[in-house]
Amino acid sequence: MARRKVNGYAAIGFPTWAYVVFFFIVPLALVLWYSFGYKPDLFTAHANDILSFDRYAEALDATFVGTFWNTLRIGVIGTLLCLIIALPFAYWLAVKMNPKWRPLALALVLVPFWTNFLVRTLGWQIVLSPRGFLSDALQNLGIIHGRLDILYTQSAVQLGVVYNYLPLMILPLYVAIDRAGRPLREASADLGANRWKTLFTVTLPLAVPGIASGCLLVFIPLMGDYITASVLGGAQGNMIGQLVASQFNTAQNWALGSAMAVLLMVFTAAAVIVFGAAGLIIRSLVRRSRRVQLQGGAA
Amino acid sequence: MSNTSPTRPEADGSVSLVGITKTFGNATAVDHIDLEVRSGEFISLLGPSGCGKTTLLRMIAGFEQPDEGDILVGGASVVDLPPHRRPVNTVFQSYALFPHMTVAENVAYGLRQRRVPKDEIARRVQDSLALAQMVDFADRKPTTLSGGQQQRVALARALVNRPKVLLLDEPMSALDRKLREEMQIELKLLQRELGITFIFVTHDQAEALSMSDRVVVMEKGAVQQLGTTEEVYRDPANAFVAGFIGKQNFIDATVSSPDALTTADGSIPLHRLPQGVTSGSSVRAAVRAEVVQVSAQRPNGPALQGTLAGISFLGDSIQYVVLTASGLELIARVSPDRAEHLSTGDTVWCSWDASELRVFEAAA
Repeated sequence: MARRKVNGYAAIGFPTWAYVVFFFIVPLALVLWYSFGYKPDLFTAHANDILSFDRYAEALDATFVGTFWNTLRIGVIGTLLCLIIALPFAYWLAVKMNPKWRPLALALVLVPFWTNFLVRTLGWQIVLSPRGFLSDALQNLGIIHGRLDILYTQSAVQLGVVYNYLPLMILPLYVAIDRAGRPLREASADLGANRWKTLFTVTLPLAVPGIASGCLLVFIPLMGDYITASVLGGAQGNMIGQLVASQFNTAQNWALGSAMAVLLMVFTAAAVIVFGAAGLIIRSLVRRSRRVQLQGGAA
Repeated sequence: MSNTSPTRPEADGSVSLVGITKTFGNATAVDHIDLEVRSGEFISLLGPSGCGKTTLLRMIAGFEQPDEGDILVGGASVVDLPPHRRPVNTVFQSYALFPHMTVAENVAYGLRQRRVPKDEIARRVQDSLALAQMVDFADRKPTTLSGGQQQRVALARALVNRPKVLLLDEPMSALDRKLREEMQIELKLLQRELGITFIFVTHDQAEALSMSDRVVVMEKGAVQQLGTTEEVYRDPANAFVAGFIGKQNFIDATVSSPDALTTADGSIPLHRLPQGVTSGSSVRAAVRAEVVQVSAQRPNGPALQGTLAGISFLGDSIQYVVLTASGLELIARVSPDRAEHLSTGDTVWCSWDASELRVFEAAA
């Protein structure tokens, strides 16, 4: 009986696991396989008759490492900026806003997603161009002297990624803060905590799962992003995703591109593990500071 | 803070509401309420949902701001203070325990906010948990506790701060009946012992009667009656209060003489007419189900005749439903040892002591 039930669920789940197997596990395995091969001649992208780690050695050159650190910096700063911008907004949305207007506000957050990723990134080229309206407006206001010189720099990439990934941070934060709920905030106030104390001891600790998932949702795709950097970064704002893409598209060296892709995944996972461990340490410190040691045993 | 007496260590816990009005949009939730709560008393705000009792409590706690009027706790106005500065604590309907903290951490929360020294926090949390009989659960998370246990923690978390006034917002509505009755007794004993003013919001009249010193019966944002439990039960101020407290039979009638009413099923005697009601006016008479006697033989005094439509055994009493010729439904609750052998369909007589009949103006 129980066995048949399990099989039933497996059958219902077929589309999902088929999707995961054929569009995630198999391609990933292929990339891993190619990364041990080589590029035999000018017209062939990859060959696997001789296996080696040579492509990894080749991939780990100064350009790759430098670009990786660059990307990591953009990723970390971008994730933090998204968090800093999204937190007050999500709090306002979940706590302060009239519930009547919430669906509209959430829809407005999602509106950029209705536009193609490339197109909305290209839009920033117009905004940030030295002869664009933003440049003119800032000059007229006397905020900058001379034309706006930000397009095709790392600053432009930084701005672009924050813009592109911000909704992915807002949504989980909104859900987490909303779920903490008004009764708990009222209980906190009732027990003598002001707004800030309530925010830091009740609302934010309860939003930690949302903060964590928001950070992952922003950081991981951001690390592999190459469109934002290609469109807004030009030659200066290079990101690791562009290097991988150029090996596949331009150099037609799938073996080297695969090795780079695997390294990117491993390094990104390592970064997530480091940040996660730091988060766990902070959490245990907070818990320790909160702990109440009762005197004596049971009364 | 000086300890003047061992049973009442805290300062004056009186609460005065002066002309409190609160509207939400077009709806008036609380309409010019004046109320004096004495220090150390157990007072219940009783009424159906939407009568404004919870809004009133939330205004005392500071979660809602009255449109008009003043709130004084211990003689000092608190109406301009935010919730975290008011000398009151609340036990919430949903308990609102912090799920990321242990039981002990929840209880310590209020003391932490007031920067109480660490060893004193430990001592007071210990005492408070002992009072609530929850010491063994100190390191558990609230989500692993039963409803009754969560309620004890919520109570301990509020009482550990030694508030002048404790506000309780239907704290027992999520408990099953047996546990609720146990908690009612415990809560009342606890309140006596601590001498803290308890303001208890409930829609359950039995709960209000069993615990309170005084009851405020509310309806449509206004106080219908304020009195001791006995006054409210024995001498309801109007038909609404009569209907809300206990199981009442309402009989529409006309006053035929100063000592009798004419109903569709005959005349019934009257003990006394309320002020302002004259002969010939339409009234609503009320008699509680507990005082109605049902017998197969016509009793000596006046009685209403009817057919026994239903019998149900309630444990501590037997409930009869009697239908009169005019279609009036009378409910009687008789203790099992005094009940006659009756069966459905029998012709029976309902009678009661004339002094038990209450008469209200029909408009009420």
